[in-house]
Amino acid sequence: MGRRVMRRNPGLWYAMPLILFMLMCFVAPLFIVGWYSLMPARTFDLTADVGLHNYRAAFTDGYGRPLMWSLIGAALTTVITALLAWPTAKILHHHSGRWASLVVALIALPVFISESVRLFGLSVFLMPGGGILAGTLNAVFDVQIGSFLNTRLAALVGMIYIHFPFMLFPLLLGVAMIPTDRVEAARDLGAGRWAVLREVELPLAAPGLLIGGLLTFVLCLGANAEAAILGGRAVTVITAAIEQRFNYAQDWPMGAALTVLVIAATAVLVFPALRRIDLNRIIQR
Amino acid sequence: MTHPPPALTLTGLTKRFGTLTAVDRVSIDIREGEFFTIVGPSGSGKSSLVRLLAGLETPTEGSLLLRGRDITLTPANRRPTAMVFQSLALFDHRSVGQNIEFAMKMKGVKPGLRRDRAMDLLRLVRLPEDYYDRSVTQCSGGERQRVALARALGSDPEILFFDEPLSAIDYRLRKTLEVELKELHQRTGKTFVYITHSLEEAMVMSDRIAIMRAGQFVQIGTPDEIYRRPVNRFVAGFMGEVNILAVSQTDGAPMFADLGLPAHGAQGAYAVLRPESLSPGNGRAVSFDAEVTLKLMLGSRTQYHMRAVGKSLIAEVGAATHTDLSIGQNARFSFDPADIAWVDG
Repeated sequence: MGRRVMRRNPGLWYAMPLILFMLMCFVAPLFIVGWYSLMPARTFDLTADVGLHNYRAAFTDGYGRPLMWSLIGAALTTVITALLAWPTAKILHHHSGRWASLVVALIALPVFISESVRLFGLSVFLMPGGGILAGTLNAVFDVQIGSFLNTRLAALVGMIYIHFPFMLFPLLLGVAMIPTDRVEAARDLGAGRWAVLREVELPLAAPGLLIGGLLTFVLCLGANAEAAILGGRAVTVITAAIEQRFNYAQDWPMGAALTVLVIAATAVLVFPALRRIDLNRIIQR
Repeated sequence: MTHPPPALTLTGLTKRFGTLTAVDRVSIDIREGEFFTIVGPSGSGKSSLVRLLAGLETPTEGSLLLRGRDITLTPANRRPTAMVFQSLALFDHRSVGQNIEFAMKMKGVKPGLRRDRAMDLLRLVRLPEDYYDRSVTQCSGGERQRVALARALGSDPEILFFDEPLSAIDYRLRKTLEVELKELHQRTGKTFVYITHSLEEAMVMSDRIAIMRAGQFVQIGTPDEIYRRPVNRFVAGFMGEVNILAVSQTDGAPMFADLGLPAHGAQGAYAVLRPESLSPGNGRAVSFDAEVTLKLMLGSRTQYHMRAVGKSLIAEVGAATHTDLSIGQNARFSFDPADIAWVDG
């Protein structure tokens, strides 16, 4: 009997371990978070009266600001990393070889090092007076500079630094999807540099750009360490607020409601974008 | 009478890639309104040459004039020329209409006007008007050729370049498109510069043909001149099957070394003899015995492969001529020395 079912629908059975894993480790926690967000504030009870008061409080109790900072930070980081990664990807694509491999490795390897370690490194680099940057400039060139450590700008710089590879690598794939002859055809038909970029390169590389953008944006929305380590108290991001609700405030329902809001904001952005990407096309190329 | 300046004037045009010289001091005038074809085997530099002409590469040396105006260093997007690429390089992410209108859009032509012009071009290349909104990816091979042609014409170019656009197309469609291109050339009156590795294709369409080898033009002439008076064995051999007989000097008298026959009036080191100039029977001035090794029916013609002394030769007769030789048979073949093209190299 069981064997017959297995024979009729082997895909489902082979997928079963993964399905169970996803149900237990992905769907169930999400469901619990969702359920918690409907509980009264500051309770650990899962059986109290269901209500939307946490969501109401999220919009009246000043959580709008951290959410806005997170969204602005994620958007800015996405745009700036895209602007930096585009020329980088173009150069790396056109100069493949040992030199390009080295650059790619130098960009890729830090991803394997803990994010906090790298951010503390950057913080040491930026420290005022005795920091590596300021100290070197002072000692070698006798130039005194201030420091922008513990500002929003520092947090943004950290975000860009951390997330650059996540934009670059999909974009490298995207740039590889631009056939040279299309660019030449466009030039031959009178397109200048910008027209080629607008009419040919960007549309053809769009899947890579979109994936890079999504990765960067979603990761930035959930990023916390950059603001904490480099931003000092200058900026509170939504993930910091959520962490604070769960840890210090012991207000799980409120933290859960904020989490659901962030997930909802992410979904609104991600799903329409994902619909426009044909992953098969990227893999086959 | 003063002549108008040539459409294109190439003077010592040279392109080197590192140590490789792809195009080697090419000089020629391409006349206004002519269908000029450059024929060469792969690696002869013909593609590099047309890329120089289109502005996709800059020459290492030499100059290029368009109607007397120096465009040697003008980038492709500021040259009033357009190219049909070997890969066609259609914009797959755009519709047929948007492809055709691309150059007009770059020039800032108003959308309404662009559409009218695109419709005209669709008619010109014999595509239905409802193809305008169709995706390029939905088009068949032949239709894509026509879209590429319409797109190039959409820039209203002074000169149209073709980089082997028909090489990936099956025989019958290629024949159709060759004729259509020739007609299009006559209707538009534009200068066409066409690149191909097929001399046969060049013969059908061209006013003049340049044979290219190792970055240089070996011979430039009308299809008839190339066919009847090749300057060397390379050009003669390009047309496909051809008999080449070496001429040797025995006691001061020229001989066809392979046949052991005197070569009266020899004017070169080799005699080039077309298969159709060699026929079974005793009918022509020079005759010899040979063994038929192969007989091929080609529809309108019959081809005989033979061995005479130590040399393999090919003869062709019209199917209407009733000479029925069979394989293994010994037969007499003859040719007329007047049909020979003499070459030295």
